[in-house]
Amino acid sequence: MIKLDRRLIINFDWTLFVLVLLLSIIGLLNIYSAGFSITDLRQTPYYLRQIQSILVGVAGMALAFFVDYRFLGRHAYVIYLLSIVLLAIVFMSGYATRGSQRWIVVAGFTFQPSELVKLTLILALAKYFDRNRLGRSWRLRELWVPFLIVLIPFLFILRQPDLGTGLILMILFLSFIFFVGLEWKSFFMASTGGLVLVPLFWYLLKDYQKERILTFFSPERDPLGSGYHIIQSMIAVGSGGFFGKGFLKGSQTQLKFLPEQRTDFIFSVFAEEWGFLGGMVLIFMFLSLILWGLKIVIHSKDYLGALVAFGITMLIFWEVFINIGMVLGILPVVGIPLPFLSYGGSSMVVLMTAIGLLMNISVRRYILQS
Amino acid sequence: MQKIHDRLDGYEPGQLKGKFNVIFVIVSIALVLIAMRLWYLQVIRGSELRQRSENNSVRLRKIKPMRGLIMDDGRRVIVDNQPSFDLVFIPNRTKDVQKTLDRLRTLYAERSLSFPPLASSFTGKLKPFVPVIIERNISREKLAVVETHSLELPGVFVEVSPIRQYLNGEMTAQVIGFTGEVSREDVDRNGVGQFTPGDIIGKFGIEKFLDPYLRGKSGAEQVEVNVAGKEVRSLGMVPSVQGDNVILTLDAALQEAAWKAIGERPGALVALDPRSGAILALVSSPSFDPNLFNGGISASDWESLATDRRHPMENRAISGQYPPGSTYKPIVAVAALEEGLITPETTFYCNGSFEMGNRTFRCWNPKGHGQVNLHRAIVESCDVYFYNLGRLLGPDKIATYARAFGLGDPLGIDLAREKGGLVPTRQWKLARFREPWQPGESISISIGQGFNLLTPLQLAHVYATLGNGGTLYRPRLVKQLESTEGRVVKVFKPEKMGTLPIRPQTIQMINQALWGVVNERGGTGSALRRKEADVCGKTGTAQVIGLPQEEKIRKAKRTAADYRDHALFACFAPYGNPEIAVAVILENAGHGGSAAGPVARKVIDAYFAQKKTTTPGVGEVAIVEGIN
Repeated sequence: MIKLDRRLIINFDWTLFVLVLLLSIIGLLNIYSAGFSITDLRQTPYYLRQIQSILVGVAGMALAFFVDYRFLGRHAYVIYLLSIVLLAIVFMSGYATRGSQRWIVVAGFTFQPSELVKLTLILALAKYFDRNRLGRSWRLRELWVPFLIVLIPFLFILRQPDLGTGLILMILFLSFIFFVGLEWKSFFMASTGGLVLVPLFWYLLKDYQKERILTFFSPERDPLGSGYHIIQSMIAVGSGGFFGKGFLKGSQTQLKFLPEQRTDFIFSVFAEEWGFLGGMVLIFMFLSLILWGLKIVIHSKDYLGALVAFGITMLIFWEVFINIGMVLGILPVVGIPLPFLSYGGSSMVVLMTAIGLLMNISVRRYILQS
Repeated sequence: MQKIHDRLDGYEPGQLKGKFNVIFVIVSIALVLIAMRLWYLQVIRGSELRQRSENNSVRLRKIKPMRGLIMDDGRRVIVDNQPSFDLVFIPNRTKDVQKTLDRLRTLYAERSLSFPPLASSFTGKLKPFVPVIIERNISREKLAVVETHSLELPGVFVEVSPIRQYLNGEMTAQVIGFTGEVSREDVDRNGVGQFTPGDIIGKFGIEKFLDPYLRGKSGAEQVEVNVAGKEVRSLGMVPSVQGDNVILTLDAALQEAAWKAIGERPGALVALDPRSGAILALVSSPSFDPNLFNGGISASDWESLATDRRHPMENRAISGQYPPGSTYKPIVAVAALEEGLITPETTFYCNGSFEMGNRTFRCWNPKGHGQVNLHRAIVESCDVYFYNLGRLLGPDKIATYARAFGLGDPLGIDLAREKGGLVPTRQWKLARFREPWQPGESISISIGQGFNLLTPLQLAHVYATLGNGGTLYRPRLVKQLESTEGRVVKVFKPEKMGTLPIRPQTIQMINQALWGVVNERGGTGSALRRKEADVCGKTGTAQVIGLPQEEKIRKAKRTAADYRDHALFACFAPYGNPEIAVAVILENAGHGGSAAGPVARKVIDAYFAQKKTTTPGVGEVAIVEGIN
């Protein structure tokens, strides 16, 4: 299973490693700043916990790097099913405590299986499309198995309820469809079918559900909830100006006007303190990461590797785009973390592991050749 | 073409060239869109938004909800809310931190009010924007001082928040539990929106069990604040929703009677209504003051609670597991009668001891009881009679009947950490100790010694079930939930767990004997005899460690307090149509009849004394029923 090969070291993907490490360090500084004005001395500061998450994440990265990804590919369905079982456990225990629940406790650490599912879904879909190659574009009715693969975790996560993660799963599915190709006829059928179903679906909803969805799309309907968040977030970003207010000097952050500033709104903390200049550097780093990922897709030596690398790259791209778009007020507020920057162990560990897998695919293009 | 052959599985990304172009375009557009938006916000609108951030005067203030009240069966309030005034200091609202604090200190000193020790040393650690709490829950005098001199104290504010007031304090602490600030783990785990730091949640007991109902919903208010941070006007608000009120089945008067009767002694008492499983009193001693947890318990208070050898935080009534002693005998008698091994007329001769192999088991009465039948054996608690039953039955048959009564598993009361006790069997012994069952162990368990363990709740449950003729009700503490307007939100109905698979005449025979324990000459429970109601019960004295019987009698007076016997008493009343069942366990208190009996008696007395004053009501109900 694990074969230590000299070439693993020689061809190590330093670009990817350094990029991700830099992003995590920027995230760490940010979390330090966001938690700077918390005086509760009894509890571990957030940035220390984030360091723990990064360390565990690097371990996950190493593991994913050394295990040949074709081995993971062989067991992709089992891994996927295990993650579904974890989701089901969370679902059950959430039911038992009569509240929503997203986490389980593993060896003393709390863990959100919904984050893990993002990666296991990529593996399962990649395996499916690797095994079932048509040599032509896919028709709609031929896609029911992969659709089922995404639907099961999607429904569990929707029940949690976690709209953001559910959305990401669906977008990942659509990205894969795009990658393997869909017949034009099927594409039109699917889009018109979707357009017809939306009003029907709307008609079936209860009033309070409609209200929730309306608020979801136009935050002004809820000035005390997400509306307030968006306004304060935009003030924070804008007030940073071209050069930013400087480290630990963001008043929006330090005065706690910003909501969820460690997690989903971490980008506004960064933008307030580091300005347009800092923001552009960060966006450029993410762009490099995504392009590097696509390069790995192109250069991978087998279809499975290409599919996995593609899925991971798209995961990072969509999370970055939706998260920053939300913080800047051009996309609706949904709970999606900013990769490597947001506070949160599960997301960090899963993404680091995913990066390990990318490196794995990147380095094995040299090994598999021989 | 050369390249295709290099690939391991015929995969050629060249085919995907067009797609990669599309993806590249999508990614570029998305990121350029973000960059443009960033430019728009930070450069084009930058100075305007910076202005807004400097004048940012709109804050979102969370409105904490009031927790629901907790009341007893008679609507007597057990847990109330009261406002807590917390003194808060925001450093950047004053020019001179030290001067402000000194002023406060002088104002306090003039009225000889104590200045909290925290404030004298914390100035070094202050961060300008962050409010720090100088003192929680300040007295009215301090509140008056701060309010009247607010102009001299820039940066000092009073914040009002509701805190719990546990009116019965220690008496109901283990049942009601307490609340506390939500832990950071809870906030992290539950994701956005569920909790925010500073929220109050139930941590223990009913407060925890029914937290989703009691908690209520936070509201929010957008307020405009002036430069000094004072709220100028409200821009809109969503009011908080008060949590539901909880009506317990508990009777506060019985609870108090039980608490007082137990006194300082470690032990527990459970009183049940045999007609429904409703818990009328549930006391565990020693206890703690739940009011200590209001606004965060101090480190020293917590330390002393957590390290107390007497475990005041443990609810002995549901998680204390004790050998039942002679209170177990009715179950053994039921097993023998139902298995057809004896009839009520069967007699055994008791000469004060019982031989088994090379061991001698003694009766509590060294003189012996002579020729006894089942009735006398229960009334006088003759051990030798039951040794004979134990030898005839063996552990597995006894276990079958014990389990039928609901022993061996938690009963499912509405509290966390309920234990299930232990019903030993041959198989269990083999699995647990890798040793076969010894015949002598059957003798021990026939009088409730040896491996047998049960909780005080289970003991009360067994006697309630005997009393009502064999219907098993799940014990429950919560009667119903009501909204603040009095609308019933949820009703917890009595739940039948089943019926004892036992002939009615067997139960009747046992109950007659239990009546005899209290009301006949020579009975061990005569302390419970009373005119108003026929009490039926059984005493129990349980050894704490397995001292050999003969030694026990000689050493009884010399054993250290910790090794003294547990005293037990279990009963129901009145005979025939019982309304209350009580189980008492006092740790290391000696004999059941003399130590635990009087405690049960006080609770029974309180019950019937209370009933007398409310009897007209009962009569009215009867008339209504008659018409129907």
